[in-house]
Amino acid sequence: MSVFYDKFERHAHGEGLKGQSTHYCAGCGHGLVHKLLSQAIEELGIQDNTVIVSPVGCSVFAYYYFDTGNTQAAHGRAAAVALGHKMANPEATVVSYQGDGDLASIGLAETVAAAQLGAPITVIFINNAIYGMTGGQMAPTTLMGQTTATSPDGRNQFNGQPIKMAELIAQLDGPVYVERVALYSPADRKKAAKAIKKAIQLQKEGRGYSFIEVLAECPTHLKMAPDKAEAWVKENMTKIFPLGVKKDTTVEPWFNRPQPCFKAETFVKAVGASSEAVQKHCKAFPSHLNPADISLKLAGSGGDGAQTAAMLIATAAINEGFDGTHIPAYGPESRGGTSYADVHVAKDEVLNPASPTPDILLAFNAPSLAKFGVTVKKGGCIIYDSSIAKDVKPMDPSITVVGVPFTEIAAGLGKMVVKNIVALGALQAATNLFPKETFMAAVKQALKDKASLIPLNEQAFQAGMDAAQAFLANKKK
Amino acid sequence: MPELKERPKPYLVPDYCKGCGRCVSVCVKGCIAFSDEINPVTGLVPVVLDLEKCTGCGLCIEACPEPYGLRALEQGEDFELQDPAKLFGEKPSAAPKPVEVPAKQIPLPKTEPLVIKGNYASAIGALLVGCRHVYGYPITPSTEGAELMAKLLPKLDGVFLQAVSEVATVNHMYGTGGAGLPTMTFTSSPGFSLMLEGVSYMVGAEVPGVFVNVMRGGPGLGNIAPEQADVKLACHGLGHGYSHCITLMPSTPQEMLDLTMLAFELSFKYRNPVIILADGYLGQMTGKVQLPDHMTEPGIPTWAVYGDLNHRKNLIASIQLLEQDLEKFNLYLHGKYESMQVEARAETFMADDAEILLVACNTPARAAKGAVQNLREQGIKAGLFRPVTIWPFPIEQLKAQLPRTKRIVMVEANASGQIENELRLALSKAGVTAIPPITHVRRCGGLLPQQTEVVDHVLSLAK
Repeated sequence: MSVFYDKFERHAHGEGLKGQSTHYCAGCGHGLVHKLLSQAIEELGIQDNTVIVSPVGCSVFAYYYFDTGNTQAAHGRAAAVALGHKMANPEATVVSYQGDGDLASIGLAETVAAAQLGAPITVIFINNAIYGMTGGQMAPTTLMGQTTATSPDGRNQFNGQPIKMAELIAQLDGPVYVERVALYSPADRKKAAKAIKKAIQLQKEGRGYSFIEVLAECPTHLKMAPDKAEAWVKENMTKIFPLGVKKDTTVEPWFNRPQPCFKAETFVKAVGASSEAVQKHCKAFPSHLNPADISLKLAGSGGDGAQTAAMLIATAAINEGFDGTHIPAYGPESRGGTSYADVHVAKDEVLNPASPTPDILLAFNAPSLAKFGVTVKKGGCIIYDSSIAKDVKPMDPSITVVGVPFTEIAAGLGKMVVKNIVALGALQAATNLFPKETFMAAVKQALKDKASLIPLNEQAFQAGMDAAQAFLANKKK
Repeated sequence: MPELKERPKPYLVPDYCKGCGRCVSVCVKGCIAFSDEINPVTGLVPVVLDLEKCTGCGLCIEACPEPYGLRALEQGEDFELQDPAKLFGEKPSAAPKPVEVPAKQIPLPKTEPLVIKGNYASAIGALLVGCRHVYGYPITPSTEGAELMAKLLPKLDGVFLQAVSEVATVNHMYGTGGAGLPTMTFTSSPGFSLMLEGVSYMVGAEVPGVFVNVMRGGPGLGNIAPEQADVKLACHGLGHGYSHCITLMPSTPQEMLDLTMLAFELSFKYRNPVIILADGYLGQMTGKVQLPDHMTEPGIPTWAVYGDLNHRKNLIASIQLLEQDLEKFNLYLHGKYESMQVEARAETFMADDAEILLVACNTPARAAKGAVQNLREQGIKAGLFRPVTIWPFPIEQLKAQLPRTKRIVMVEANASGQIENELRLALSKAGVTAIPPITHVRRCGGLLPQQTEVVDHVLSLAK
């Protein structure tokens, strides 16, 4: 019995008799199950690696007794906490010890989710058909007709029927072993001992989740002498909760997780960081557009690629050593089919990343052009998809308005997805925000795992540039 | 002929018998009987043993629910039954005194800045401090954090587990944090509400963990646009009982990374959860993010329940059953919260000579920053005071500004002035009575205060 503390220091500071006796009532099943668990842990030689999670309910103080790692969980959450322990240290043997209120009522979601996940933990479920700690109220496993403090006339149909947890858990795919046992006879106690040991053994071998339901006696709240309570469990409970193995599948050990990786190289690669400096092509900040902070708005419909184009502009800015930000469409304006992005390119620091009055508008459709065209600053620039937006209203004469058929050009290239790259090419030619090389460097970075697409994107960018230049040349004439 | 080994017979210290009699019915020899003699020490009625006919079958021992009830008397053992003290003196657990497993710093090569969303930056910040256990339940606008973790953690042999709910999430964190490892989650307002029970338990059991709450509009389902309406929840509503957590409010993607790293450090320093309040805008915002020059391989603290011999002694629990114990613990917690005051942080922008002090956090602070510059261009001495920690409130830093401050303008994204309430409470607690007039620019419901609104408000004050 070495898995029990020699002295229960946590039980009222181990003072007096409490240092050596449990807090359970006379004849309670919990003490017996504690002994069976202690025995299994000892026999399997896993005391040092065991973590026992105690629930809320009568066994809330299980940590008084077991000389193992102990965690006390919130009501119903023991299985979730146990998983947290198992994930932290897969070598640990983690036991979630729960009563009927904890496991089958308030914690039902956590119970079922942990079982279906199937990660090797051991759940020991004490079903005594009543709430003990709160004083004899109805449990989810209370029998029909059974009188409790909250079913004073006996449990009836309006209270629902007792839930058969072992059967419920056994029909899930996750568990490898589910058995219901009892404590009322020497033979049953032996079976219970064997079941608990097997459940822990399966965990130790990394084979999976196991669930042992123990029909236990609560003489105090059944208001019976312990021997009568034993007889009551045998005669009444086993009719509703038949004993036996409910599931026992042979699964090869599978839960062997590696230690987490802390290699600098692996980390840097995983997050996509690069030590390779991107070549700079800008001679100076494009202050002809704004002295310190250029604001852009990119607007279109979902699928136009406005967000990707916005990302590429922000990336290009940062590659050049400037600051850049991008905020995707957010807020009520995003309703009604319009998707937009606010982008800033700043010499030093973007103070405010929103673009309510942009220097540059890149519009992929007519509603966007109508909506945001009027917000563009005097002296600003609007580039729009002239294949979609035909009747463009006159703008403030200080604003440069450039129409480029993004859609037609992209269609001509055979890939509609490059529409946004066409648009970026047009943006470059119309504003000279950055040199072509800067944009293309950002495009190549984004396509580093799809290098075969680079030539098409280069073609699209050039076509956008050419079209914008032709438009501007035409306008001058 | 080998000597027949006699099976051990039971013995019982009557003080440890509750008289349930489960042993009585299993003894076929009738050696155990109920008695009617009340034990003067316990007030209970223990069974009595007459072992003359005992065969040492052991069934009574197996039937006894008490660990130190009926026990086997091994051959040669000699117990003085009349003197329990001799048996049950101070015998502590054989588990060793836990030794700290130290963390390691791992140098990182110099890299080009990343161009990433705020939510991603926060996730990478967590990975940098060695967090390899992330739990979460998808909720807009925080989901990218979980998605990136689900993608990256397998590459780092870590664990991302999509929990069945936010309630399960926080309890997975309670387990992993209790095991002494760094753990975190991404959530948004309604999800954070669900986690609060667990936060209270983590505070009570002194379990570290980081919660990134990318705030959205509320109450109820509200909407998925940004709001700053969970400030009161983070500062004054972290579940039941006496619970507080350091709460950080980043305003740039870079800060999402930096403050997530800081959050873990503080969480372990104080053995207490740390909250990061971001807003939906910031979570989605892409910007420049520079990685630091090192990352951390976490150790295991001495208090952890890791599931090994070193930590076998330990307990993670929030129960203090005796009133005196809970009072002592809550006073200790109070002391801990007081000691967290030194972690109060604030940033200022053009505030050295500012007469009009804008106060804002998160994305609204960036609108305010733009407004400050705009106002300065118009000759108005405006400055920004940005609390980086909203709990504890950076009152000392604010007090340093007050002698020059003629007006305070709160810029925030909620209807009731939750940041203003923190400021007023901090001023009141600090005994500051000479408070400049406080006005505000507030938007809510998913709309953020705009730079022009802030500028217009300040200009209207000057009139």
